[in-house]
Amino acid sequence: MASEISVDAVTAELRERVRARLRQRLTLHHASPAFEDPELFSDVERLLQTSINEGDGNALLLPDLLGDPDTWRVQTVLHYQSHRSTGAGAIVVFFKRRVIMPFVRWLFEYSRDNFERQRRVNQVLFACIQELAIENAALRKQMRQESPESGVRPEALDAR
Amino acid sequence: MKLAFVVQRYGAEIAGGSEAHCRAIAHQLAAGHEITVLTSCASDYVSWRNTYAAGEQRDGAVRVCRFRVQQTRDLHAFADLSDEVFDGAAPRDRQEEWFRANGPDVPELLDHLRQRGATYDLVLFWTYRYAPSFFGVPIVRDRAVLVPTAEEDRAIDLDILAEFFALPAAYLFLTPEEQTLVASRAASPLGPSAVIGMGLEPTAPTADRSLLQSHGIARDYVLYLGRVDRNKGCHTLLDHFQAYAGSVASDDVTLVLAGPATMRIPEHPRIRALGYVADDLRRALLAHARALIVPSPYESLSIALLEGWNYGVPAIVNARCAVLQGQVRRANGGLPYRSGEEFCEAMAYFQSHDAERRAIGEQGRAYVDREYRWPMVTQRVERLLGEVKRTKR
Repeated sequence: MASEISVDAVTAELRERVRARLRQRLTLHHASPAFEDPELFSDVERLLQTSINEGDGNALLLPDLLGDPDTWRVQTVLHYQSHRSTGAGAIVVFFKRRVIMPFVRWLFEYSRDNFERQRRVNQVLFACIQELAIENAALRKQMRQESPESGVRPEALDAR
Repeated sequence: MKLAFVVQRYGAEIAGGSEAHCRAIAHQLAAGHEITVLTSCASDYVSWRNTYAAGEQRDGAVRVCRFRVQQTRDLHAFADLSDEVFDGAAPRDRQEEWFRANGPDVPELLDHLRQRGATYDLVLFWTYRYAPSFFGVPIVRDRAVLVPTAEEDRAIDLDILAEFFALPAAYLFLTPEEQTLVASRAASPLGPSAVIGMGLEPTAPTADRSLLQSHGIARDYVLYLGRVDRNKGCHTLLDHFQAYAGSVASDDVTLVLAGPATMRIPEHPRIRALGYVADDLRRALLAHARALIVPSPYESLSIALLEGWNYGVPAIVNARCAVLQGQVRRANGGLPYRSGEEFCEAMAYFQSHDAERRAIGEQGRAYVDREYRWPMVTQRVERLLGEVKRTKR
């Protein structure tokens, strides 16, 4: 075979097949009728995929708006604490860390792994919401700019 | 030049990727430079227990100075500390403590750098995450060249690294993706750097399958090479492969796992786990595989991928790892997958398009010829080291 094979082209072809099957499966399970349009489905998938790929936690607005992370962030670290005074507290913390923890570590690690997954899902959802909000705001802006010609009243858009 | 190579472990029998990279570069450069490896007495990266004798030894033309590990790693304390610092917002001293606890704890190696560091023209450090590099680079920063071998794991997000990555006089990277990753975490623009990769010797094609037959290995197989471990993405590989095997009627292909297992491998008529394999079997497996599978989510450079291409074997790789995706695209040498369904499609494609499968494998081999032969890799290293020595602060 003389000519070079483009793996990008092959990958795109394989992904298109997977996408078509996925769309078919979702419509069979009564997903939104909008998914019957392959182009629209492809756009939705691309938008969500971008959120997954580029959902850097430091580039998200929602965490800032939610306020103090202690009130909403999934806590994966286990803090060894005691409400007792310094001496007795130190003994309790030592007991928790060195005597109890070795026996329950498997349970802690199982829970922590699941919390980690939940944290990742939350971050992806934040990124998806941000992408959708940006797109929505950009469309609103565009419609406001075009409203004199299209006859749409900007205040009606803003009131929604 | 008189060069020191600082690395956490060293030896022909050490299986780690960064350690193998360090040793290979040391041997390549030893012909033209005076190389001293500064390392620990440990052979095991989990406990860092002393196994080699301390003091000076030779490894061919390379001088090796081993320093005793003062304190082995307390795994439970380290796990707790890791949870704490990776949870985010841990104070600077706790992050520093994480690097200390990660080990190996070799204070005499650091003393050697304090006392004798200036006698080396340059000091190269392998792997940012281990204590000898993290605490050693600041001691000789004017002549420090860091080979970070950074991956997109949780350690790379520690904010203490912003300052640390601004310290070395220069960098050697394994891939452009690694370079981008480290640059994105550094507080200031990086100094001079080069993407060097890893060198490979050309391989000769072989039609002899007798060694494979003597191990009862099926004619058509796809290969996974390396430690069979959850951290390497093997659990998803096994799930995806079983889904693929269940979706095709014929016994068309077997998955061969060649490497020690640290996880349970399901009993399946089309999955063969060989455990550790000797070099000759490893070469035979590579030479005849239909495809090499690399499911790892974290890599700074997949040497297995390069080895596969060196034999003209195409790859199927985890697209969620930017490095693997980048390697495959640059080489035009494999198919990336993001999900089980895409994995099955890639497997089916290679099974049904044999000419294309071979061509993609050959494209991979051509890429290795273009980029990863030792003379080219050594030249890139030499060029950067020469530049750093000339412009040293």
